This record gives sequence, structure tokens and C-alpha cells, in this order.
Amino acid sequence: MTDTLIPPLPEVRPGARAWFALMGAEAKMVARDTAGLIVPLGMPILILVMNGIGFDTDVVIPGTDGRTAFDIFVLPITLTFIVAMVGVVNMPSFLATYRRTGILRRLGVTPASPVMVLVAQAVVGIAQILVGLVLAVGVAHLAFGANPPVDVWTAVGMLAFTVAAMYSVGMLVAAVAPTPQSSVAIGLVAFFAMAALGGLFGPRENLPEPLAEIGGVLPFGAAVDALGAAWAGDVVPVAALVGLAVTTVVSSAVAALMFRWE
Amino acid sequence: MTRGTRLRLPAVPSVGAMTAIRATNLRKEFRRRGRTTVAVDDVSLHVEVGEIVGLLGRNGAGKSTTVDLVSGLRAPEAGTVRVLGHDPRADRAKVRGVLGVQLQQPRLHDALTVREVVRLHRSFYPTGREPDELIEAMGLTDSRSTPFADLSGGQMQRTSIAVALVGNPRVVILDELTTGLDPEARRGMLDLVRGLREDGTTVLLVSHHMDEVEKLCDRAVVLDAGRVVAENTPAGLAVDAGLAPDAGLEEAYLTLTGATR
Repeated sequence: MTDTLIPPLPEVRPGARAWFALMGAEAKMVARDTAGLIVPLGMPILILVMNGIGFDTDVVIPGTDGRTAFDIFVLPITLTFIVAMVGVVNMPSFLATYRRTGILRRLGVTPASPVMVLVAQAVVGIAQILVGLVLAVGVAHLAFGANPPVDVWTAVGMLAFTVAAMYSVGMLVAAVAPTPQSSVAIGLVAFFAMAALGGLFGPRENLPEPLAEIGGVLPFGAAVDALGAAWAGDVVPVAALVGLAVTTVVSSAVAALMFRWE
Repeated sequence: MTRGTRLRLPAVPSVGAMTAIRATNLRKEFRRRGRTTVAVDDVSLHVEVGEIVGLLGRNGAGKSTTVDLVSGLRAPEAGTVRVLGHDPRADRAKVRGVLGVQLQQPRLHDALTVREVVRLHRSFYPTGREPDELIEAMGLTDSRSTPFADLSGGQMQRTSIAVALVGNPRVVILDELTTGLDPEARRGMLDLVRGLREDGTTVLLVSHHMDEVEKLCDRAVVLDAGRVVAENTPAGLAVDAGLAPDAGLEEAYLTLTGATR
């Protein structure tokens, strides 16, 4: 019974195989959750199509290198919608379910850390977002003749920034929600509040001025403005950048303080 | 588990006499709505390599909290835990590679099938058992393509045990091993634990079933209200309780914990 006879134990850290297996498991979980798979992709496309039918997609906005109102307003709203649905509604509901069902606790007794689940979930979510973005841009181009952004790399950068902001809001929702049901409820309220003030249901200019200004710095409106600027070849508004940056930093910090594994 | 199917794990290298699990003066409190409950109070126990030790106690005695502390899921307010000489929280990467834990509630990914769940957990370890062999040994072959959420309670339990063993652990903690199992599956699980002993695996077995502990365990630790009230061989516990050595563990347990029949 002497501890001195104990041989040293090797450190066991999950390798690439474990990471891929966990990401594969997360992808299967998302694919088998019909609503979680279809709603974040189907609803935005539906809104895109409805807007495309209602818009005169041939009217070019002056000074935008031939981009139409459809390119500059409808497409950014659709793309932001996809990112926000996955980041703010889907992702926290998965994490809340994992916490509720004890999966994070179960992983806590294996070499895989619960942090791996967060990363795998984020990777799968981003893959789902990419599928949604490609689908939306494809439908917009094929059905309504949508144009690519004047400044492609700015658009890519702003999309990445939008993903960071929406995921940080999603992490905050996951941190404060006590149950999976409440995470969906909180996520949907946060989503629709940001979307309504950000121009999803009509031009932000139609809102009372204080609300329009608030909507412009909340992540949905800020993302729409930033992507619209990239599509038009304009300089991205500072207010949009600040809004996305502050959202990312503050939400991440608060989520990190409040997040519970159990 | 299929009758007659013995689970064979690779033999654990002999490393001489040593302590596989050593918990010393553990204390754990839970605070809720201004109230503090002491779940585990000054608990010390040890399990030598290759031993099977039972952890007994009524509901709320502190058994599962002790499992959480030993497996490193929770940090104690006081006391220390060593698994093969290492702190399961500070040396997480070392301990997790040699420790297999079956938690009381079998909780795994609902939408994944049995095979997918076991394969996923196998991927976390550099070496381990072949998932399909383990699934067969657990009697889950016919259910291997069934999502975890659609399994019966007993099948969930067996999947949870498979997941605990898939990394070839040297130390295994089984919390309520046979809960929810039918008599045949229960017997298979007892054979499984015997197989683990033959392979040199150390087992901490948390149980309500006195017959199980009596048949399988070298020693048993009895918890009551968060404290260790006795620790001995099953026969020794009877003597500790002031009974004849052959009085049986159940009588000894009831006497030691002050329970009435």
C-alpha cells in the first residue's frame, strides 16, 4: 500500500480522431433534429423568395457599381437571419439540452473535456451557416439575378464578424437559460427583438428614431448595415463595427462568467 | 449482457502493491437558497489495486457525491483524492485515461445509436476495446442501431457501462451497476465484474444490493448521513455490528446504519 510504487501515468489528450468523431456526432445530432436543421435554412430562404417576388430586382442603386436594392437590402437581411437563427436560437438550445441531460457531466469523466463539445458544436453550427449562406446566395442569384458584393473580402470579413457576435449572444443565452425550453424562448425573444429593430420586418427608417438607432448597433441591424455596405462597395459604418465588437466582447465575457456545465 | 459471453479486457500490468483510490478526509457541502447541506463529511476510503470495494448506504447517504469527488467531477471543500497517485482534478489528463466511470443516471447523446455512442467514446482513448465486441459482450447487438433515447432503461444502463469500459480503464467506478436490469442481465453484470477482477482491474462498486456486494466485494465501506460508519470485509462488518460472522451483510448493514426492518 505504498504510493511510491505507482508508475507515472501518461497524459491522455484526445487527438484528431476524437475531434472528428465529436464533430461527426454533433453533425448527426443536428441532422436528426429536423426542426433545428430546416428552420434556420428554410425560413430565411422563404423570406428571401417572398421579398424577391415583391421587389423590383432590376432597379439599380446609383453609385453602387450596378447593385440593386435586392442586393444591398434583402440579401444582407437574409444572410444575417441565417447566422442569427443558428447562433442565437439553435446553438444555445443544444447546449442547454446537453446540460439538462447530463451529457456535459458524462463527458467530464472522460479524457474529452466539455469544452470540446462547445468547439464541435460551434464548428458544426458554422458549417450549417455556410450551407445556408451558399443556398441563399445561390437562390438569390439563380432566381432573382442577385449580384456578388462589390467588396467580396469585406463581405466575408463582416460575415465572420457577424458569426462571432451572434454566437456570443447565443453563449449568453445558453449561460442564463435554466432549461432547454427556456433557452429556445429566450433565444427567440432575443432574435426577434434584434431582428425587428434591425429591419427584418421593414426599413429601419420607419421605426421611431431612438429605436432605429438602437437597432443599428444591435448585432442584427449592425450586421445588415455592414453587409449592405460591403455589397455596395461603401465603407462599413463605424456604428455597425462598434455594435458588433461590443456585442461580441460583452456577451462573451458575461457568458464566460455565468456559464454552468451542470 | 449475453449469458456465457465473458468480457475479456487486456490484463493490467502488474505494478506491485499500491493504492488505486485513496480518499482522505473528504468534505463536500451544497448550498441552496441559503441552506447548507453537508453531503460528505470527513470521508476516508482506500481501494487497493485489483480490489473490489463496495460503497453502501441508503439514499442520500453521500455515495454519489463521493463518486463525484473521487472521479474529479466535483472539488471537495476539504480533503484529498488520489487515483493511482494522482489528483483527478489537477492531473485530469492523466487520470481520465485510466479511469472508467459509470454514473448513476445513464445519460448519453439521445439521437446517436448505441454503436455511434460507443464508437464516439472509444475515440477519446488512445487504446481500448473494439466497440462492436463490447456491444456484443453487453448483449446490445440487436439494439446497436437504435438511438439511445429509444432504448429501454436496462439497455441504457448497459450502454452506459460499455462506455465506461471502452477505454480499458485500470480503475472502474460503477454507480448502481444493476439498477434497472432484469435478473439475467444482472447476473451477466456480476460476471462482468468478476471478469474485471480477474484482469486486475480495480473496482469501486456503489450498490444498494447487499447480495451483490457480498458476492463480489473484498471489502465494503458503509456510509450513513455523509460519514463512514464502518469499513471491513463483508464478514468483518457483521462482527463490527456485534453479529455472528455469518449473519450476512444485510443484517450487518441494517445494524450499522441503525435502520429497522
